[in-house]
Amino acid sequence: MILFIFMTSFFCLIAWQKNVYAYIDPGTGSYLIQILLASIFGSLFFIKLFWSKIKSFFTKLFSRKSA
Amino acid sequence: MTHTEMNPTNNVKGSFRDPSGFLFYQEDKLCRQINKIYQSDYAMLMESGLYQELAKENLIVQHKETEKSFLDTEPGYKVICPQLIAPITYPYEWCFSQLKDAALLTLKIQKTALKYKMTLKDASAYNIQFTKGSPVFIDTLSFTKHQEGEPWIAYKQFCQHFLAPLSLMAYKDVRLSLLLREFIDGIPLDLASSLLPKKTYFSLGLTSHIHIHAKAQTHYKATGLKTNKRKMNLSGLLGLIDNLESTVKKLKFTFPDTAWSDYYTDTNYTKEGFEHKKQIIQSLTDKKPSSTLLDLGANTGCFSRCVSNKDTAIISSDMDPVAVEKNYLQCKTEKTEQILPLLINLDNPSPGLGWSLEERDSFLKRFQADTVMALALIHHLAIANNIPLNSIAGFFHKLCKQLIIEFVPKEDSQVQRLLASREDIFSNYTQKDFENSFSSYFDICESIPVKESKRTIYYMKA
Repeated sequence: MILFIFMTSFFCLIAWQKNVYAYIDPGTGSYLIQILLASIFGSLFFIKLFWSKIKSFFTKLFSRKSA
Repeated sequence: MTHTEMNPTNNVKGSFRDPSGFLFYQEDKLCRQINKIYQSDYAMLMESGLYQELAKENLIVQHKETEKSFLDTEPGYKVICPQLIAPITYPYEWCFSQLKDAALLTLKIQKTALKYKMTLKDASAYNIQFTKGSPVFIDTLSFTKHQEGEPWIAYKQFCQHFLAPLSLMAYKDVRLSLLLREFIDGIPLDLASSLLPKKTYFSLGLTSHIHIHAKAQTHYKATGLKTNKRKMNLSGLLGLIDNLESTVKKLKFTFPDTAWSDYYTDTNYTKEGFEHKKQIIQSLTDKKPSSTLLDLGANTGCFSRCVSNKDTAIISSDMDPVAVEKNYLQCKTEKTEQILPLLINLDNPSPGLGWSLEERDSFLKRFQADTVMALALIHHLAIANNIPLNSIAGFFHKLCKQLIIEFVPKEDSQVQRLLASREDIFSNYTQKDFENSFSSYFDICESIPVKESKRTIYYMKA
């Protein structure tokens, strides 16, 4: 019985939170295009971070050498 | 006038869309009721360290928890008192760089929120206000727990409220920011896409977030497709926000030549006359200090900067978006906290807008000042816009307790310029008529002729 009440409350809370979260309409087209764009920009972001790490590695390396 | 008198039912009319809570006034103090529905998100905001990080950097309005009573008891969980920001201003009253700074702040807050496993559930431009020269986020209830795999629910709103108007201002015409006055939830993306020039297709960001986004919205409009099973990972979300940020940063304002932005270099003042006018303003504001001053027709804010008292909060408004842009950029460069430049067209100031015409307050409801300063403005209202002197005096009387106003006679070359292409139907536009009209509403305390000009500056009290 306690487990039943706990589970019911848990699912109610999840359902409740969902309503709070989405009080504005994200729009079907906006939602789907965002997922598509995120896959592209996510990859570009990864490359950008990777590149900045390589750049900072060499910058540090050369600044150490010159020092 | 107190807030309670202005709004006897106490609740702030524009605060009703989000069921998480609402704003109201109690004993003339601004309060925010947090409803039980938002309890867990509020706890997470306060306990995760997110609020503290944002507050430390002055990115969010600070608040105190209070024991004040709920306005609506049944759903109530807590009442907080946010720091009061006055006056409230709206995106259609901001220049390009103000809207851009507001957009970048929204994205910065979203990135910070994600660090703490939270996200912004809305990205409205109305969640940003300007105080002490910088934008600040004012909606404490905008944060919610980020569910793993969930896209950014406010993505569409961000594009409509920020990216669409900024790109239109940058690529088409700066005056298109006024579309925000018509479209209260941001500029529809199909409209923005159709108005933007073809060259914007060369921008990856604008092509993605405006053009393709608009087409996707139109395509899926009638499908009613279930979206909640589709997920995206956190790195994808961070990549999306990073791209939005770099797209916004790349948008630049190009300065066109407008009538008033070169006003001080293209005027009939002699150097001595100009310096004398500055001295008059310094002297009047020194003798009659005020906590709030509304400089109407301020152009790039030259005379707003002459106000002696450095504690006076100054609204420096003009109808020319280029002049307001220059004013804002100068404030940023000089780190001026005292002056807030705003885009206000006095012959058609911001009306009450939105639901029941009360969601966004009118200019008159928001802007009351101790002092109004109206320099080289009267001829634009009376001659360029045919507004009777008596009506102008009545309007200023609604705004302030004391008035510093410059009378510009017909013989002045600026008035002659206004009359050059039209018939002079203004037989009642004389200094005597001006004094008679304003005496009906104000006591004229001082009148000081400006050296080497035909102009006179008046100091009046309501």
